[in-house]
Amino acid sequence: MSLKDRLVGKLISSGPVGQLTERIKELEAEVQEIRQQNLRLAELADVVGELLIPMASRDQARIDAAVEAYLKSV
Amino acid sequence: MGASAIRFISLNDEGLMLEGSDDIVLDVTFEGRRVWSFWLLRDSVERGGHRWVEWPGSLVPFLDGHCQLGVIEHLTGEVVYDAPTQFGTSADQIAIVNAEGKALGIDKSGRMAQTFDTRSAEHVAPLLDSIEEVLGALKDAGIEAFPAYGTLLGAVREGKLIGHDSDADLGYVSQHENPVDVIRESFRLQRRLSNAGYTITRYSAIAFKVDVKEADGSVRGLDVFGGFLCQGRLYLMGEVGQAFEREWIFPLGTTTLEGRTLPAPAVPEKLLEAMYGRGWKVPDPAFHFETPASTHRRLNGWFRGTRTGRDAWSRFFSTRRHTLPEGSPSEFAQFVASQEQTPARVVDLGCGRAGDALWLARQGHHVTGYDFVPTGSLAAQKVAADEGLDLSVESLNLNEWRSVFGVGTKLAHAPGPAVVIANHVADAVGARTRKSLWRVASMALRQGGRLYLNVWVGGGQSKALVHPVPMRVIERELAAAGFVVQHQEIVEDQQDSGRQVGRLVAQVGVK
Repeated sequence: MSLKDRLVGKLISSGPVGQLTERIKELEAEVQEIRQQNLRLAELADVVGELLIPMASRDQARIDAAVEAYLKSV
Repeated sequence: MGASAIRFISLNDEGLMLEGSDDIVLDVTFEGRRVWSFWLLRDSVERGGHRWVEWPGSLVPFLDGHCQLGVIEHLTGEVVYDAPTQFGTSADQIAIVNAEGKALGIDKSGRMAQTFDTRSAEHVAPLLDSIEEVLGALKDAGIEAFPAYGTLLGAVREGKLIGHDSDADLGYVSQHENPVDVIRESFRLQRRLSNAGYTITRYSAIAFKVDVKEADGSVRGLDVFGGFLCQGRLYLMGEVGQAFEREWIFPLGTTTLEGRTLPAPAVPEKLLEAMYGRGWKVPDPAFHFETPASTHRRLNGWFRGTRTGRDAWSRFFSTRRHTLPEGSPSEFAQFVASQEQTPARVVDLGCGRAGDALWLARQGHHVTGYDFVPTGSLAAQKVAADEGLDLSVESLNLNEWRSVFGVGTKLAHAPGPAVVIANHVADAVGARTRKSLWRVASMALRQGGRLYLNVWVGGGQSKALVHPVPMRVIERELAAAGFVVQHQEIVEDQQDSGRQVGRLVAQVGVK
């Protein structure tokens, strides 16, 4: 890479273009973090539906059966 | 077959040198049977004005002996090379077969597999039965599934399974449009199939494998890929993210595979184009997906992450699972035993090959081991069963909240205090997964007991699968998770000089 190319690259990376590039990287990371919440939410909804509701029965045998069945299906 | 425009230059035990400028697909045959295919330019490097192609890693172990080797243009059948060939020093004939003598070929993932071109009609029939059976089970669960990827391609293009393929793929497009709902639906499907007696291995939040046992005893996996339509785009695990019309899927039509009528998307050509590009009609046994990064980002963000590290641990255990670990019990296990009364209810989180768990069971404790890869401790499990010890090993995936809360709930309901141990687990996972470790440990201690940790905190050489985590980080995380540390020390690792190990004992919310 020539000295001129290196200088132009340096100017771009330290100027508004470089700042925007960094900002895009941050935004992409933030979007990805939000996407990952979908799986967490689905898992929690699954746990509530399959484990928490049987637990409300306070019937230990039913609770144990629900937990075993759930673990078998995970 | 005729002469090819591509010229053979030379070959040796490492690879093959050819001359040619067109990027075309070439088949490599042993005794006339295709074993591997590659693109001349895409899969080679330039060397001395020629094209150099290395033998794939999965083929190299077989290359010791003599054979009739062929290199043939896939589409035209023109011969580039066909001659008796010697590899290595063995006087034996090379046989590309598995331990049972069944013919193998290299599949699209680069692995040696029983590809369909080596299977007779009577052996394919059980797979077709299984496809119909799983499609039926999915339909019973309210899902209209169809053959997908290579299986759909074979059906639409040739009416049969593709010779160089080795597995059957099924797909479906959910009626839901939100990733959360699509994932929950996949969880329900897994339960239905699991209850029906199938062994399920989950790949991601909306894709899993259903194991089907065939007539000859082979276990073959049917992959089920979920998908959904959202704002005019189809996302199908794991390679599709395209502008798509709902009418191209629903209502489903039919296609014919090996003489059987199966469901198919309404316009299967559109889905095949989304999967394989406009050239889907031209056979390409060396096809590689060129999925856009934006599609991978979306699919990764929504659906992946629960298998992180699993393949590495499976590989680690693959050659060790049938032997007992050396060096057991660890000094850590002996420390735990010296602090607790016998018998105790011991929960070994991340028990690995279960050497310590086995030793603790032999001391009279009631031990349950949990691991990401429970089959890593098959040897210890067998010894425990033979000796009548109270040791069981179960699955725990700290990356998956369903597993964490499921195991945690079970442990929270077990009567009496517990001794929870985690030997080099906190240093084998990242900060996010460690939160799940603290959560499941905390739930296991709902009825009292203590948590014992052994963590690499500094010093020593870098090592695969584990990394040092500073003591202050562990202390901070434990405090945030409601633990109170009652004892902590840093000791020199006896098996790895220079490595410092933090040993902590903690209880939940007790000062």
